[in-house]
Amino acid sequence: MNPTPVIQLQNLQKSYGSSLVLKGINLSVSAGQVVGYIGPNGAGKSTTIKILMGMLPDYAGEATVLGMDVKTNALAIKRRVGYVPENAALYDTLTPMEYLQFIGQLYELDPAHIERKALDLLRLFQLSDHANARMTTFSKGMRQKVLLISGLLHNPDVIFLDEPLSGLDANAVVLVKEIIRQLANDGKTIFYSSHLMDVVEKISDRIIIINQGQVIADGTFAELQHQRPESLEQLFSQLTGNEGQTGVAEEFIHTLKN
Amino acid sequence: MITIILWILDRLKPLFEALGADYGQLRAIVQVKLTMDSRRSFVSLGRYGKQSGESNTNFIRILAIYAIIGGLISFAMLGIAPKENLFLPLTLQFSYIMALCAMTLISDFSSVILDSSDNQIILPRPVSSRTLWLARVVHITSYLFAITLSLTVVSIFILASRFGAASGLLFLLLSLLSAILMVFLTNIFYLVLMKFTSEEKLREVINYFQIVMAILFYGSYQVLPRLIGSERMLQEPLAHQSWHYLIPPMWMAGATESFIQPVFDQTHLIFLALALLTPFTGLWFMNRFLTTDFTQKISSIDQDGQTTPTPIATTSTNRQSWMEQLADWFTNDSLERAAFAFTWRITSRDRKFKLKTYPQLGFGLAYVIAISFQSGSFSSGSFFYLFALYFGGIYVMVAQYQLRVSDNYRASWVYGSAPIQEPGSILSGSLKAIIIKLLVPFYTLLSSYVLFRYGLDKISDVLLAFSNSLVMLLSAALLSTRSMPFSIEQDAMKQNNTARGLLISLVLALVGFSHYGLTRIPFGVWIALPFSIILCWYLLQQYKKTGWESVEMS
Repeated sequence: MNPTPVIQLQNLQKSYGSSLVLKGINLSVSAGQVVGYIGPNGAGKSTTIKILMGMLPDYAGEATVLGMDVKTNALAIKRRVGYVPENAALYDTLTPMEYLQFIGQLYELDPAHIERKALDLLRLFQLSDHANARMTTFSKGMRQKVLLISGLLHNPDVIFLDEPLSGLDANAVVLVKEIIRQLANDGKTIFYSSHLMDVVEKISDRIIIINQGQVIADGTFAELQHQRPESLEQLFSQLTGNEGQTGVAEEFIHTLKN
Repeated sequence: MITIILWILDRLKPLFEALGADYGQLRAIVQVKLTMDSRRSFVSLGRYGKQSGESNTNFIRILAIYAIIGGLISFAMLGIAPKENLFLPLTLQFSYIMALCAMTLISDFSSVILDSSDNQIILPRPVSSRTLWLARVVHITSYLFAITLSLTVVSIFILASRFGAASGLLFLLLSLLSAILMVFLTNIFYLVLMKFTSEEKLREVINYFQIVMAILFYGSYQVLPRLIGSERMLQEPLAHQSWHYLIPPMWMAGATESFIQPVFDQTHLIFLALALLTPFTGLWFMNRFLTTDFTQKISSIDQDGQTTPTPIATTSTNRQSWMEQLADWFTNDSLERAAFAFTWRITSRDRKFKLKTYPQLGFGLAYVIAISFQSGSFSSGSFFYLFALYFGGIYVMVAQYQLRVSDNYRASWVYGSAPIQEPGSILSGSLKAIIIKLLVPFYTLLSSYVLFRYGLDKISDVLLAFSNSLVMLLSAALLSTRSMPFSIEQDAMKQNNTARGLLISLVLALVGFSHYGLTRIPFGVWIALPFSIILCWYLLQQYKKTGWESVEMS
């Protein structure tokens, strides 16, 4: 494997106003890895990703992506990084072709090249029939497919995926998982953030759990399992201090009945 | 229209590159933004214009209205005045352009300048701060130019035919520069503000700041002519004073005048220099100093949600119970009561609602007070206070119109999923909330001013005008396509309230004139009052009976 890490974080800290969201994150990821980055809501997952994307420059500590400092080389990093945000943010009054054409132009790709590539990718996602229809009418899964294409269109070396399977049907889920695997085999680095533990368990070479702005577990699933032989889901709730959910569920049902 | 704009942009490519933008990206962003605007349905003329989902016809209609208004003003001001006396009419023309641009910028385009919806789409891409900022400026400016052109087209022809093509062209150039200047003034204010406020409070501060600015801009447009003097001044050449150099419309007017006359003395050369140089200096200054952390600041706007939850619950318990008391008094059933409370709370917290509504209310008051100080028979006659009372009514309708609009329009699925039999209760409940919350306090202010200035015996007129305004508000609500509160998407270009207000004001003027007729009959107003109240009550009942078939759900 590549000796120089693709992503390197040293004592990364970030605060919004007075509240410290990231309390010193240390990470080193090498090329060709699929990293499952998980944690409870508000643990600081999206903040980490935004910092790595160069979108939040006012942090403390060291952050480098592809050997470049995030603070000083944000544009150069963005050119080689792909980002698929959660909750399907796209300009839905456009058609997929128009949208992808637009995104491609932001990466300064050649329009004819984008056109050909986008059409092919849409075809592979079975969206050929909808390539020139406005996305306002699209289902969540169709939007998610367009979003995935728009994040990967420029063939990035590092890919940040935030809940990339949301809304996809079972076939598409299998397809996207396979795409992720083959991208990693190609030497791309994938930073995968999700709340679906079984998917993360299967897809990731390495799992990082953060809670309240700190890394609380880091290793392959086998390594993590070695300490506590359970499923990732159980491991997760144990580590993030949320056990006894059965009792809470009982109480919930009880309250509904009143 | 998009192709024309892009064609012009292509000609200006070196300029953008000199400013440090990536032209390809800039063009792509502007193109996409304009395409999206053209696909949104323009509802600019509210209920009067049929929605045409595909094209800009409504925007074009607004432009036509501006062209007509601008044309009338130009004929009155520039058509006959001898060329020695053109300075003031020109100043007024330019103030008109600038005021309209500033108002449009603040009320309709502030969402474009401070748009954070791009955060997830454009910020992760390799687009520099400067490119994104310039793209937004170009996007806004293209609309402002269209508005400016439609306003000035008649003036340009008048000037060209009277003083030759060169002065017409100069006037055109200066009008466009005025628009640019306004973009920079508002932008500088925003960006300076963004530099000095904490990120958490930014949106809240900007919101109130926009409201104040909107009122100030409007006020200064009202006050400027009075500051300079009355009609007497329009007939005499003006002696230039040093404070004139501080007033942007005067630069433009002075510059135009220097070519019309032609004179090139020291005063006019200073005006000319100011007129031509300030917009470009502004551009350079903004580009040099303020864009670097622009996107950073924009992206931090969205982060304010992540900080500690705002302690609304603890501070507003008193107010809530007070509001709930009002809800008890004015609503009849639980559904109506729920809608009342819901509307009340959202209208106090939704920044966009406040931004769209409060400046309008401010304008209303400022306008009435400004006119009442104008000398001449108009303001002192018995006609004026009626005019004031009805005129104020227009501005409350804006709130009623805004009520259906929200950024969280998708949440309106609850109206569909909840077992609501009569949507009319929700509609009437939220309309009542608007009436109690905005119309009543606004009218109280307005009528106390009228009573204070014109005597307590005008109380009958105040009451009738209030009741009539309610009737107007209700009939407007009844005649428009009814939609549930906060259920429609807000678009950057959707509202241009100026044009819509013009149409409403026509109807209001009719009612106002009838009221004026009644004041001529002894006790006419007192006799009409019960009828108006009964009509008002009847309309409210009708509104409450609205069934699902007449409600438009998105």
